[in-house]
This record gives sequence, structure tokens and C-alpha cells, in this order.
Amino acid sequence: MTAQIILLVALVGASAWAILARDLLKSAIALAVASLLLGIIFFQMGAPYAGVFEISVVAGLITVLFMLTIALTKQGGDVRESKVVKIAFPVFFVLFAAIDVFVMKGVLARIPAIAATPEAGTFGEVLWKERSFDLVGQLAVILAGVFAVLALFRKKDHHD
Amino acid sequence: MIFLYIGLPLAVAAVLPLAGKASKKVLPDLLSNAVLAGLLVYAATGARALLAQGPIIQQVRWFGDAVNIRIALDGFSLFMLMAIQLVSLCVALYSINYMEHYGAKANYHALLLVMVAGMNGLVLSQDLFSVYIFLEVAAVASYALVAYGLEAEELEASFKYLMLSVVASAAVLVSIAILYGMTGALGFDEVAAGLRLLDANVVVGVAAALFLMGFGLKAALMPFHAWLPDAHPSAPAPISAILSGLLIKVSGVYAITRIFFHVLGMTPALSQILMWLAAVSIVLAAFLALGQTDMKRMLAYSSISQVGYVVLGIGLGTPLGVAGGLFHLFNHALAKSLLFFTSGSVQQATGTRNLNEMGGLAKRMPWTAGTNLVGSLSIAGVPPLGGFWSKLVIIIALVQSGEAALAVIAVLASVLTLWYYLILQRKAFFGKLAEQWARVKEAPFWMTAASVILAVLVIGVGLWFATIFSSWIQPAAETLTRGF
Amino acid sequence: MINSWVIYLVFAAALFFLGLYCLLTMRNLIKLFIGIEIIGKGVSLILLSTGWARQSIFLAQSLVVTYIVIEVSLVATALAVIINLFRTNQSLDVRKLTRLKG
Repeated sequence: MTAQIILLVALVGASAWAILARDLLKSAIALAVASLLLGIIFFQMGAPYAGVFEISVVAGLITVLFMLTIALTKQGGDVRESKVVKIAFPVFFVLFAAIDVFVMKGVLARIPAIAATPEAGTFGEVLWKERSFDLVGQLAVILAGVFAVLALFRKKDHHD
Repeated sequence: MIFLYIGLPLAVAAVLPLAGKASKKVLPDLLSNAVLAGLLVYAATGARALLAQGPIIQQVRWFGDAVNIRIALDGFSLFMLMAIQLVSLCVALYSINYMEHYGAKANYHALLLVMVAGMNGLVLSQDLFSVYIFLEVAAVASYALVAYGLEAEELEASFKYLMLSVVASAAVLVSIAILYGMTGALGFDEVAAGLRLLDANVVVGVAAALFLMGFGLKAALMPFHAWLPDAHPSAPAPISAILSGLLIKVSGVYAITRIFFHVLGMTPALSQILMWLAAVSIVLAAFLALGQTDMKRMLAYSSISQVGYVVLGIGLGTPLGVAGGLFHLFNHALAKSLLFFTSGSVQQATGTRNLNEMGGLAKRMPWTAGTNLVGSLSIAGVPPLGGFWSKLVIIIALVQSGEAALAVIAVLASVLTLWYYLILQRKAFFGKLAEQWARVKEAPFWMTAASVILAVLVIGVGLWFATIFSSWIQPAAETLTRGF
Repeated sequence: MINSWVIYLVFAAALFFLGLYCLLTMRNLIKLFIGIEIIGKGVSLILLSTGWARQSIFLAQSLVVTYIVIEVSLVATALAVIINLFRTNQSLDVRKLTRLKG
């Protein structure tokens, strides 16, 4: 469990770095590192499929998409982020973390739950048989994304 | 085969790029309209007959093996399906002319069909996570459609819409995770049963609050409405119509209604919160609409206000209240789409959305002006048009339940609504014909046809409201308030 | 099991805080979207850890996998909008998005 906590702390740290880094490229890399850590956390929880998906898709594909976007939008003169924001951040974060731990310890201890029943079958069966409707949804959202990108990058003839 | 509602639009959307290669405009238009017309006919006839035997649960079979796709059709979902196919068909018809110079029609119709598939899927789902998935399907398609024209204003509107919408979806997912954590199930019935066994009011309250934030944003319920006045005017007119007429209701109001009635259970506290949020929406949005000079922005604020009426009726929780809310949902879907159609016709003819620049257009665009008048009067609640009856039912239901204050608010806001719609009518269509518009022509055939179809429906619903109310709306309300 | 679940929730909440902080304070469009991505990580963490706490790790994985697929579509669409915005405005500054008012 302590290994998990270290990984979780690193995850939050990498995410914070992604936000505070000045260079967009460094932010994207920090995000990729965060995804990598999350994938390892998933793996440690006994969820290898989710871990592999997280690493290959989010740390891989989405990072590539970000890099592509950053490359396509490079210009002289970047957007200056406010300095105050970066200095104020640790203050807010520590404040939040304190409230967070306090609330979770108090409230969550009291969430009632129905006893868990052990799961039957394998991952494949659960995904393909039990949640097959989700697969239709995945197909639909992929279609939506593909058509969206095609529409947004089409050769434009101006309309009035 | 209820699965057709999801499968058919997706399948046709997938082949539309190929069809688009073969014939740039005719084939995509034809296919898209055919699909929607077919589904509409099926909803009106076949599905109705099926439903006579009680709610249907469909188990889809795939290559002989029973795949676990459980979609269920009951009075409420059938009612929503009818509304979705009807308005989408009119939008597709309208798009035949309007989207001419946007280019890439096959792509546009593909996105439209995917959005319809997403909305259909949402309405047919029996499972919290499926609701989320199809919500996102329709949402992703809508982000692209809002930005479709690729002009600066449209892109900006799409970006802001996107950012807010994604945060809302995250709130919904956290709530789903909480409910799953408590009950170990995702299906509506299982979660409802599980929640009844547990005594977890505080946590259910947190989950309900998150749902309200998430779905409330999708429905543009105040105070989560900020994205709508930017997104709806900037989108192309048929997309504004489908967003205002359907998407905010399907992904917002339907989801809230289904989940609060079937899963969480409608408590008095929840009812009061919904009703007062709705009242704020109704009044504030009406005031904000008054001050608008952009025609479509005024319509956008009107949408926020009218959704308030719908949520007011549904929030009341009594059978009559819910029926009134649903009836108003239907009326508003028809009328608001109609109004966005006519505003699009005006925008295409004159090149502007600024009411102060228009004037006297009724002389040159009689059909557009006439249908716009029908739509405006219906939403403003003028008898015998549909909107009057639905508002009346809501007000009666409020009075019957002793909510006198809310009833008074509803009536007064109605006056406000009539006022700003009259302003719209006067500034755009009546009065002196300004010099520069002396040569504008009436809108092209399909655009006018779609507007006329909706106008006829609005009048028809008003005249035959009694039959429609008892045969479509009340069964829908009953399935919600029967209690599970 | 319940106590470990609380630990995951604490960290997921921290991720939400980071994401929201980014959305509220940052000006670069791409940075704003990175904030959304971080919220997405928080959501995946909550989904998976809830399933893990209920000992149904397979169901949790299915949900997370589906969620990641949705996220990819979303990222592709959003980045397409951002690239187009850059081309029209020649800037990634969110303060330049001021055409819509009222």
C-alpha cells in the first residue's frame, strides 16, 4: 500500500508540474508521465487491462496529439501566464489538501454500502457479454470523433 | 427492433462518406432524411402497437448468441423518441438548403445522424453508465456541429461550450461512481432497489447535487446556463434548432427526470430545489431576453426560460405537473426549432442577426414571417396554440398542489415572454421595410417547407391538444410517477 | 478495503482540484485543456478504485476502458477546435476570445 501512496503522490506531483510548467512541451511531457504513473497504479490494483490502455492510449496517443497541436500552434511570443497564480498555487493546494483529508476521513467512513459479491467470469466476458452496449457506444463516439476532425479540418470555401 | 434507433443512424453515418464521394449533395441529403423519416414512422406506428402490451425489454441477438444489450421502451422513452425523430427530420430537411455553402454535406449529415443515434441511445438506456456514454456521443457530435462554419465566432462558442460541458460530464461520472460504490450496480432498477435497502440520505443528496450540476448544465438550468447564449446563436441555424429543441432536453431534462424519478426517488426537498431553480431560470432568462438585439441570442435566452417551465412542471412531481412539463417540452421542441429555422432564413436573406437592422420583412418573406408568428405565439402561451395548453396545465398543477407563489411567477413570466416575442416580431417582420431589404427573397424551398411543417404541427397540437395529451403525454407521465 | 478506497478518493479529489485550478487561472488554450485531462485522470481513478473496493475489478476496467475511448474522441475534437482557433486568431490566449458578450 505504501508503494501505491508514493505513486499517487507522484501522480499529483506530475499533474501539478503539468499545470505550472511554463513551456507547453514540458507540460505535455509531465502529463504523459502522470499517465504512466496512473497506469502503474492501475496495474498494482490488479487491473492490467486498464493499466495498459491508460499507458498506450493516454500516455501514448493523447500525448502525441498534444505534441502535434503544440507544433501546429507555435509562434513567436507565447501566452504569458499570470505569475501571481503560480505563487498562490501552493497556498491553495495545501489548504485544499487539508480540507480534503479531513472531509474524506470524516464523511467517507460513513458511506453505507451493500456487501460486495465476488465477480464471475473473465475480463473479456465482462466487457463483451455484460457491457456490450458500451461497445456500441464506443463505436458511436469514435465515429463522432472521426467525423468531427474531418469536418473541422476540411478545405474551407467561405460561407456568408 | 428497437435497436434500429441506434444502429440505423450509426450504420448510415458510417457509409455517408462513401455516398458523399459518389454524389456530393443529393445522396447524403436523401439518405439522412430517409433514415429519420423511417424511424419517425416506426415510432408513430409500430412501436406504439408494441407498447400496448406493456414496457418492452429488448434482448439483442448477435450471430445467434444473446448479447447483453438491454434497451427498454416505455411510455416516457417512446414519447421522447417521437419528439427526437420528428424534430431531427425537420432539421435534416431544412439543412438541404441551409448547409449548401458550408460544404462537406456528407460529413455534416454523418455528424447529425451520430448525434441522433446518441440521443436515441440515451433515451433507450437502462443503465447509468450507458446514459453517460450516449450523452458524450451526442455531445462530441454537437461540439463539431457548433463549430461547423469554422468562423471565429463559431469556434469560440464551441470551445467555451466544450470546456463547460466536459466538466459537467465529469460531475455526472463522479456521481455514478458514488452510486455504484454504494449499491454495486449500474442498472436503473438495481440501483433503485439497492438505495431503498440502504439508509443513505446524505450521500444520495451529494450524488443528487452532482447530477443536478452535471445534467443541469446540459439542460442550461440556471445557474449553469452560461454556455447556451454563446453556443446556440453562433451555430448554423439547423444546429441551433436541434440543440435548443432537442439536445438540452434529451441530455439534460430527460436524464434528470429519469434518474430522479426512477433511481434516486423524488423527495420533497429535491422537488422544491428543482422548482425554485426552475423559477429563477424562467424569470431571469426572460428579463435577459428582453434586452437582446441579436435575434438568435434572444431565442437562446428564451430557451433557458422555457426549459425552466419544463423543469418546474416535472419538479412538481404530481402526475398532472409532470404531464404539463412533458407537454411543454414537446411544444417547445417544435416551436423553438421553428423559430431558429425562421431566424436562419432571415439571417441568410439579410446577412444580419441584429434586430435593429431589420424591419418590414413580412412583405418580402411572408412564409417566414407567418411561421415565425405561429412559433412565437405558441411559446408565449397564446391560445389556441400548443404552448398555451402546456403552460395552463403546469399552472393548474401548481395551484392544485398549493404552490401559489410559483404559479403566480409562472403567469407573470408568461407576460414577459409575450412581450419579448412581440418585440421580436415587430422589429424583424412588421413595420416599415428598410431600404436595403427591398430586394430580399423568400427562403429556399426546403427551408420554408420545414418551417411550414413545424408550424402546422404547432397549430395542430394546439387544436387537438386533448387527444394528444391523453394518448401520448399522460401515459408518459404515468410511467414516471407510478413509483417503482 | 474501505480505508484504502478513501485514500484513492483523497488523491482523486486532489486531481480534481488541480484540474479546476488550471481551468480557472490559466490563459493558454492548450493549458486549459491539459486541466481537463487531469480531471479525466481523476475520474478514471475514482471509477477504478470504486470497482476495486467492490471487488469487481473487471467491471471497473470495462468502464475505465470505455471512458478512455470517449476521452480520446473528445481530445481529438477539442484539439481540432483549438488549432482552428489559433489559425483564425493567431493566438492561444483565452483572453482574446471576446467576440461573444452579453
